[in-house]
Amino acid sequence: MGPLAPNGIISENTNFLLAFFIGIAFGWVLESSGFSSSRKLAGIFYGYDTVVLKVFFTGAITVMLGLLFMSLFGWIDLDLVYVNPTYVTSAIVGGMIMGAGFIMGGFCPGTSFCGAAIGKIDGMVFIVGLFIGIYGFAFTYPWWEKLYMAKYLGEPKISKVLGMSDGLFALLLILVALGMFAVAEWAERKFPREEY
Amino acid sequence: MSNNSKTERSRRYLNPYLGGVLLGLVLLAANFISGRGLGASGAVKSVVATSIEAVNKNSVNTMPFMEEYAQAHGTSPMKSWLVFQMLGVLVGGFLSGAVAGRLKLKVEHSPKITSRRRLIFALLGGIFFGFGSQLGRGCTSGAALSGMGVLSLGGFITMMAIFGTAYALAYFFRKNWI
Amino acid sequence: MKPLKLLALFIIPLGIIIAAVPADKTKHFRLTADELLQEAGAGVQFVSPDAVADMLVKKDPSLQLIDVRTPEEFDAYSLPGAINVPLSNLLSDQFTDILNQDAKMNVFYSNGSVTANQAWMITRQLGYQNNYVLQGGLNYWFGNILSPQAPAQTSSDEEFAKYDFRKSAAAALGGGSVVATEGSGPAVKAAKPPVTAKAKKKPSGGC
Repeated sequence: MGPLAPNGIISENTNFLLAFFIGIAFGWVLESSGFSSSRKLAGIFYGYDTVVLKVFFTGAITVMLGLLFMSLFGWIDLDLVYVNPTYVTSAIVGGMIMGAGFIMGGFCPGTSFCGAAIGKIDGMVFIVGLFIGIYGFAFTYPWWEKLYMAKYLGEPKISKVLGMSDGLFALLLILVALGMFAVAEWAERKFPREEY
Repeated sequence: MSNNSKTERSRRYLNPYLGGVLLGLVLLAANFISGRGLGASGAVKSVVATSIEAVNKNSVNTMPFMEEYAQAHGTSPMKSWLVFQMLGVLVGGFLSGAVAGRLKLKVEHSPKITSRRRLIFALLGGIFFGFGSQLGRGCTSGAALSGMGVLSLGGFITMMAIFGTAYALAYFFRKNWI
Repeated sequence: MKPLKLLALFIIPLGIIIAAVPADKTKHFRLTADELLQEAGAGVQFVSPDAVADMLVKKDPSLQLIDVRTPEEFDAYSLPGAINVPLSNLLSDQFTDILNQDAKMNVFYSNGSVTANQAWMITRQLGYQNNYVLQGGLNYWFGNILSPQAPAQTSSDEEFAKYDFRKSAAAALGGGSVVATEGSGPAVKAAKPPVTAKAKKKPSGGC
């Protein structure tokens, strides 16, 4: 039955309209969780605010479990769901550059929009930076093309790479995440925070 | 800041675990309805492509990176799933902020640094992140979060790289935050 | 209870369940290329002309012959009870209910078996069941069912039995001793049931 759009059950225009509503929900949840504040976002790296860790991993676990259960009930065909491709080199290098951008800017693209939406000027400036960065990449692309296309592994799933079933990996991730949450709560009690 | 307002302010935010579950449900809906996860950087890329084309009609075609946009989005790069989603994010973020009374035009920065310094770093951060997101084929929303949700190895690697690097560099930028 | 403990209480059992359940319970709505290759290679889609002839003679209601040739060829000659779904219109909405069902056994046929096979591959890839291909197509049908060749004297009993069956089937289905050429059918033309364009089913609203 699902996913609806790839199966032709809903039209492309309906898909776009629903994307808008999904975006509203996305933005609402992010902002309500505090992701519109660069200070809260950076907190994970200094221990005083671990909201990023908790929301991120709880979210990942929820969707993982959700997809696996839906597939179990036959409600969704996982083969038709987009799995991000794996290009090892560019994933690592790109990730490192993004990490630097994160600690400097205190935002990521999604959260910067949230911040900008509630009036955070640093969020808006971050978005301007995004434009510049993307344009810069496109403009200098020929220099990076080989790096960008290197080590393409297809779309492997983590579980397959580790040689276990999807469900088992989900369980492991749950346990690891819960462990991390316990550490995070300890850290928040230990590292002081100043509210501003 | 008195203790009262501190707890008051943090109570206005959702419990992070609840927020995480809700986020996961939104992501689940996206996968079920559209067969794809959420994202963000791709939408900015669409706008960049559109603006390049607006300024100079043919230069989009001469940029091999933007080529797929020239081909795939025959009508306009703006008519993409991500662009609609990000428009929704703006609305959703605004509504949530409005309901919680968090709407305020300001530069959020640590009292230990100036507003200008914060903005400079915000700009730099954006540039790095923009560049990195194209190389990494996604940002924290698209590659890391959505990728993890569908058990993508590439998403997982990107996530580790982002957070690992940020932790490694955190010491050097600590003055900006704590 | 602390939120973390509540979360853990809820999520660990779910994780255990999903880990314990065998992985490949997912049913594919569409076939992957591998699966399709396997089925095509094994030839599971073929139905022998004898079997079809038998069902026709017995007027088996579960058989539905589908002529995938052009309307002109269909009008010139068609098998008894066949309906016309030209290959070019195979994916049109009006035929979805006929092609995607589990009540009848659809048997595609064309002059040879190329077009019929194409129809099968397309519908099979969409996950439709109960569609088959008439082995040998009309060419084989004319040559061997409607005008069966008498087996040599030294053939097995089985061959003779087949020959007898085909002779009587041919008589029942209106075949002659004349070897029909493509396009010109025997005198008796089977009555074609009208194809009612099924009303488009509205998708059920999401709750």
